[in-house]
Amino acid sequence: MNIAKYPEIKSTSKRLKKIYVAIMLWIVGRAIAAAAKVDREVKEEFKGLDDKFMMHLHVLPSGPGMIVGKDKNGKVKYMGWNPAGKKITLDMKIKNIEAAMLMFTFQESTCVASAHNRLAVSGNVPDTMAFIRILNIVETYLLPKVITSLAVKRYPKWSEMNPLRKHLGRILIYIRTFTF
Amino acid sequence: MNIPSYYEFCNKVKCLSGHNALEKLPDILASVNSKKPMIITDKGVMGAKLITPVEKALGKIKHGGIFDDVPADSDVKTVQEIAAKYRSAKCDSIIAVGGGSVLDTAKGVNILVSENSNNLMDFVGFGALKRKLKPLIAVPTTSGTGSELTLVAVIADHQRDVKMLFPSLFLLPDFAILDSRMTKTLPPAITAATAMDALTHACEAYTCLAKNPLSDTTALMAIKLISENILRAIKKPDDMDARLALATGSALAGMSFSNSMVGMVHAIGHSIGAICHVPHGVCMSILLPYGLEYNLHKSGHLTAELLFALRGEEVYSKTKKSDRPGLTISTIRELNSQLRQATGGKHPTCLREVVDRDGNLMIPREVLPEIARLSLNDGALVYNPEELNYSDMLMVLEKAWECEPLDLKKIKKGKKTSEI
Repeated sequence: MNIAKYPEIKSTSKRLKKIYVAIMLWIVGRAIAAAAKVDREVKEEFKGLDDKFMMHLHVLPSGPGMIVGKDKNGKVKYMGWNPAGKKITLDMKIKNIEAAMLMFTFQESTCVASAHNRLAVSGNVPDTMAFIRILNIVETYLLPKVITSLAVKRYPKWSEMNPLRKHLGRILIYIRTFTF
Repeated sequence: MNIPSYYEFCNKVKCLSGHNALEKLPDILASVNSKKPMIITDKGVMGAKLITPVEKALGKIKHGGIFDDVPADSDVKTVQEIAAKYRSAKCDSIIAVGGGSVLDTAKGVNILVSENSNNLMDFVGFGALKRKLKPLIAVPTTSGTGSELTLVAVIADHQRDVKMLFPSLFLLPDFAILDSRMTKTLPPAITAATAMDALTHACEAYTCLAKNPLSDTTALMAIKLISENILRAIKKPDDMDARLALATGSALAGMSFSNSMVGMVHAIGHSIGAICHVPHGVCMSILLPYGLEYNLHKSGHLTAELLFALRGEEVYSKTKKSDRPGLTISTIRELNSQLRQATGGKHPTCLREVVDRDGNLMIPREVLPEIARLSLNDGALVYNPEELNYSDMLMVLEKAWECEPLDLKKIKKGKKTSEI
């Protein structure tokens, strides 16, 4: 039997998962940049980060990924997926696509993913903690409460985020994410 | 029991424990083909003449010198200085004799001499070390940090005012020697604080997010050994069995948290240490009940299980399931009070009782907001079951300062996951 005649069967489900995670990373990346303009808490968190802050969140071994960082003017921007030529200060690696699926289908929060050794981080710890807090706020804006509750340890109480701030912020972040 | 969908556990340290375990030193050195070890220690260890049994055990083996100037906070400069001496004396292994700072310093030295480098910064963070280092033998002289069985070294860079974390499997020592003679002279207050530090490692390892069945097993045994022997060792410092049990408990707790991490008690404790320079074990003993209390709605069922190890089978089975978490916490508070009594008032039970040698308050109330802010950036918070923001931190700190338990109704709660 000549096995060369038979082409290698590639997993379509893995490809679909990569596409799904790539779309989610694109949305989250742009939403973070939008939230940095809309939400005062996110604004404050970014203010505390270095002017050269550049975060690369990506899936090992070959992506997808997204980069968010400050530009020359200190503005927070979504900077695409390709790290080439960019000086990454915080590198967050999701160890494989299955781990990324667990995170982006909200079966596992960022903290639980860390606890299960699904994330590897290079960069300083305070920056990582600030980024996790930013991610939690952005998820609260992007997702309905029932899903966000799975992705964060504690859904913000009324005193932390009142409905007016939440709904108005949500509208503005969605508009900025998909338009600008 | 919930088994995590994925976990990792690694410990490859050969542990030698006994009343005269140090006598095995020549065999250990021969097994790693070492002919000229360097001894790293501090002035406290030298003053207590704890190096004598080490030198006696070495017998005819000539060491490459004793470096005894390790500061209380291991730092980059010291590490570089010792590495230079190691190279010039042509040593081929390290024997670290001391507490957490000495062991961490020795790990730092081992990085530089093995990688033939002078810049520790090149090896910060996970994955920076790629190969096995020189043989390292850890001989702890306190029963607290568990550094002899952990894969981390924390080394300060005082010029930049930062503490750097070096986590790597290659930093696990090759051997840990637990010899009861080495902790015999530890003063009661330090015995209390360091043992409570180890107890905190075990309790947080068992109740925080990265727990796993292997870390659980070591944590429970650590709690049992520490709770049964802590007062015994303080009341009768010459009780060598109690000393050995504490050393073993501390090593087990180190093995446990090295594989499951710790939570908010450590996050706040690190910040108090950084700002007020309070010994780590003191912070841990005060904050442990508050950490367990704050997380009750998330990990109360796990806190309940600690009661078995803390108080034994009889108390555990006689206590109603719903009362077990509360009894665990009050047992730890009671233990702190007993330690205060046993140490003649030297062991504080709340933050306002922490004083320096001259009796001055070490944690003034005004610094609590600063501590709360700094704690938010500590990596240990990731593994804490419940979220903490600035106001949560401040609430915990104020209660810990005032010696009052937390008001459970005031804790902002996420989704309840405790089965109790």
